[in-house]
Parts: sequence; C-alpha cells; structure tokens
Amino acid sequence: MKNNLWNMLKKEIREMFRDKKSLSMMLIIPVMIPLLVIGMSALFESQMNKPVEQYNKIGFSYELSEVEKEIAKELQIDVFIIEEKNLEQAYKEKTIDLYVTKEGSNYVIHGDDNETTSYAASLTDSFFASYKEYLQEKYLQENNMKAEDVIAIITVEKDIKEVENFYANYIINYAFLFIIMAITVSATYPATDATAGEKERGTLETLLTFPIRSKDIIIGKFLSVSLSSMITGAISLLLTIVSLMVANNMFQIYKGINLMLSLESTLFACFVIIAYSLLISGLCIAIASRSKSFKEAQSALTPLTFISFFPGMIAFMINVESSTILALVPFLNFTLLFTDITAGTINYLHILLMFFSTIAIITIVLGVIIKQYKSEQVLFSN
Amino acid sequence: MLKVKDLKKKFIRYNSKKQKEEFYADNGISFEAKEGEIIGVLGPNGAGKTTLLRMIAGILEPTSGTIEFDGLNYSKNEIEIKKNIAYLSGNTKIYNTLSTYELLKMCAEIYEVKKENIDSRIKEIAKTLNMESFLYNRIANLSTGQTQRVNIARCLIHDPKYYILDEATSGLDIISSQVILDFMKEEKKKGKIILYSTHYMEEAENICDYVIMINKGVIIKEGTPEKIRKETKTTNLRDAFFALIGGKSNEE
Repeated sequence: MKNNLWNMLKKEIREMFRDKKSLSMMLIIPVMIPLLVIGMSALFESQMNKPVEQYNKIGFSYELSEVEKEIAKELQIDVFIIEEKNLEQAYKEKTIDLYVTKEGSNYVIHGDDNETTSYAASLTDSFFASYKEYLQEKYLQENNMKAEDVIAIITVEKDIKEVENFYANYIINYAFLFIIMAITVSATYPATDATAGEKERGTLETLLTFPIRSKDIIIGKFLSVSLSSMITGAISLLLTIVSLMVANNMFQIYKGINLMLSLESTLFACFVIIAYSLLISGLCIAIASRSKSFKEAQSALTPLTFISFFPGMIAFMINVESSTILALVPFLNFTLLFTDITAGTINYLHILLMFFSTIAIITIVLGVIIKQYKSEQVLFSN
Repeated sequence: MLKVKDLKKKFIRYNSKKQKEEFYADNGISFEAKEGEIIGVLGPNGAGKTTLLRMIAGILEPTSGTIEFDGLNYSKNEIEIKKNIAYLSGNTKIYNTLSTYELLKMCAEIYEVKKENIDSRIKEIAKTLNMESFLYNRIANLSTGQTQRVNIARCLIHDPKYYILDEATSGLDIISSQVILDFMKEEKKKGKIILYSTHYMEEAENICDYVIMINKGVIIKEGTPEKIRKETKTTNLRDAFFALIGGKSNEE
C-alpha cells in the first residue's frame, strides 16, 4: 500500500509541475516579497523628509534660556513649557510629540516607540548637540581650557524604547506575514485542482476504480500540495533574506542596524514554514474536496486566505506577544513565532506547542476527509 | 464468476428546495456472469444502467444486495477485487497532462504489474492497439479516437478478469466504436467476463451472449438475444424492448 501512496504522490506532483497556473502560483508570488521590502523601505525613507511642523512640538519641564530659545527657533522647534507632572498627559493627548525633563545638568528625552517620536527625537538630539556646543565654546572662552575638559559638562540620555529598530521590526514582520500569505495562495490552487478540479475533469471516476485506498489518494494529494507550499515558502524566505540584505545597504533608515537573520533564526523560520505549509495544505485539501466544482472550491477557500493573514497582522499592529496559549492557536501562532524568531527571542516550548497543535489539526482534518471520501455525497454531490 | 443478487440503490432527489423524494435507481437486480461471456445491460437513459455498473465497479455502495467476484465481496476484499477489474465508461476521462506511456506506466504500477514487465507490456499493447505513433505524446494533444484507444490500453494493462464497460462507444465515430467492439471480442476469447451497457440495441444484439433489459431500475427481461426475440415475438432487441414497456420508455 505504501507503493500506492508513492504512485499517487508521483502522479500529483507530475500533474502539478506540468500545470502552468500551479507553477506560476508557486514561483511568481514570492517575487512580490523583494518588491514589498524595497518598496516599503523606500516609502519609509521618503517619510524621513517629512515637514518639520509634523514633529516639532517639544515639551520642556523647565524654562529655556535665551540661548536655548534661539537654538529652538533656528531648528524650528515649537517649544511648550509645561509643568513636569502634566508632560506625560500632554504627550498622550498628542499636544506635544516628545518631552524633555531636567535634573541638574542631566536632561532626559521621553517618548514611545513610534514614527513621529523618532522624528522628534532626532530633532531634539540636534537641539542638545547645538546647545552643548554653545556651552563648550563659552566655557572654553571663559576658562581658557581645552575641548576635552568640557565634554562631560552636560549629559543627554534617551528614554525611547528601541527607537532604532522601528523600521526594521516593521519591515521584517510584514515580510514574514507576506511569506504566510504566499504559502496560503500557493496551496490554494493545487489543492483545488487536485480535488474539485479532478471531479470537474471527470478523472475522479477513473481514480476510484483503481485499487487504491482513499487514505492513499488523500494523503498523496496532501503531500503534493504541501510540497508546492514548501517550495513557495523556501523561495519566499530566501528572497526575504536577500531583499533585507539589499535594503540594509541601500537605505539610510537601516543605518547601524543589522537586518540579517542568524543561522539559528533561519533554521527556525524554515521549521515554521514547513509546519505552516502542512497545516494550510491539509485545510485546503479538506475544504476543496467537499466542493462540487473548481469555482465552488475557490469561493470556499477565499476566506482561508484572509484568515491566514489577518490575525497575524492585527497581532503585530497591537503588539500581541506570544504565550503558551497563543502558541496553540492556529494561524496566530505562526505569526507570533516569526516575530519571536526575528527578534531573536525564540521560545522552544512555544515552537513545540505550535508543532503539536498543527499535527493534531492536520490529523483530525485529514482523518475526517478520508472517511468522507467514500461518501457519494462528497464524490458525486452534483 | 460474477454474482449480483437483489441489488438496490436508493437516491434522494429534490423536487423543490424543501421537497425531497427517495427513489430507487436500481431495485432488486440479480444476474450471474460466467467466464467468456459478454453480458449486455440494455435500457434507455435513466434506466439505472450506470448506477448498476458503478456499484459493480466499486465506485458506488449499494443500499442493499450483494456483489460477489469469485466469492469475494467489496466489504472485505475491495482492493483485491479492484485489481481484477477494468472500468471504462463514455464519460471516463484520463490525465491530460501525462503522456500515453506515463499513464500506462502509472496504471501498471498501481495494478502491481511486475516492474521488469511494465515496459514490454506497454509496448505490446501499443502495438496491438496501433498506438506506437503517439505513445510518447501528451494525452491532451490526442484525437478523441486516439484517447479512447489509450483508455482501452489502460484497461488492458493489468490483464483483468472483469471488464465493466458503461456506454463505452457512446459519442464515438464508427471506427472508434469498432475498436472497442473488436477489443471486447478478443477479450471474450480469452475467457474474460465483460459487462457492457449501451442504449444501442443493435450493437448489443451483435456482440452479447446474454442480455439484461432494464427500465426504471428493474429487470424487465433477460436471456440470450435470440430467446428475448422469440419470447417477445419480435425480430430485433429494439422492438422487443418497446414491446416489453408497452411503447413507452422511462424518459417519457
């Protein structure tokens, strides 16, 4: 019987690789990834040059000296003097884009990890650099001292969480979300063709007269669709890595940031891609095999494309972090694991939970469809 | 030997969105087929021929009744039985993306033809059915007649004992139909059992040893063509059929 599974798999793979549409779905969709990475990076960089009035409202907890006011005016900073206890509220209400507090000669810049704050932080950096320069010059003049003696006259600290990784996180997470979508689209067409397409073309009747168990038919189809998805996933991952390397060297926004994945992260990403390919292939086969026609199967599978993409996208937008329970939730767990992998915070327990929940779902779904594949309602429902 | 006993198949049809009706496509069909016999299953469209042959081929499950191939039945020996069957219908489609050779090789492997014999078996069949010129062409590029020959070759590859041919000549030109009829005669000589359904009564009259006439899912007459003609006092099976149903077919 193992022979028949192999025969079915050979037949399905041969059909899939000879079908132009299946091939194009498998190979062309990953090409979108470099376009996405380079395109989004270019967009981010262009936003770097956005008008200063969109991020120049800086709150200060102290009165500025005349010199500071002069520097602020030169840099087009819109100064807001607010009591220290009210600064955070003003920032939350977006009255100001950033705020600065002072303790003696120590200035602290406060803000969150978002796009406007990163622009405002940059502007504030320039403000303090100029002010520091002024103080140094003044001190040198008054005391006739050397430059290195005044370096530590004031200190500036940043309280902005990982502001330097904002673009990198964004681009990497979206690239991996796109890999998931590419795998889903790549599984949809061959799964539809191998099941509903086989019904529509009339070859299913021939297949059913062969001495092959429905288990071998379904598993053969499942493995061939999985192979197609894995090929798409592998090409997508490769193109993601290459395009991140290119973007890293090409755009100023990634200056000083390493977008490269480590070998360990790459291997785990491959593992997640394999698991996701198996899950989506199983689901596509199960749904499409119940459809009467190719068109009906395509309609039935369209929601799956959205389900595969949206939970991950929403989780990324609202900063959901992976957890033991979420590692069991299909679709969401893959996106969260990708986020962990790219951040270098791989949790082995979460990877294991994802793997076992995926295997459990595939087993149940394929088990049900193998049983139903003897049913006339599934096979000859039209 | 093939034994079919009291075979019934119930379906549900929807008269409107809410109204459904149960009906028997086949209702108590029994017959036997011995080695070297061609059994003709005759009847108009919708009589229950395709359902009957699909049940015998193991594609559909009977509602009740038994089918035995040399004492074996589908519930216990499905794979074993299917290894000895070849099923060909007018609607049977084959894999267009494969070449003739690839299809036959795939079928040979599925039917567990010995690996060392596969190539010679394919070439032998290709020679017999005059397929050598398109053996390595994709099936998608073949004519209807050539495709039908590939279909016959697919049935021959594992040298089955039973052939189930459902309207196999339907829609074919006279030459392609003759290829199938010649193939049936050849296999009969080898002692094979052939079930052949058709609504071309003349065709059946010429080739079948035994005829089962079906209308509305039940056997209305069976016997040798000669016996049926004699008993219905007619000169051909077409007239015999109309005499049996009182001039009205199921389609009316």
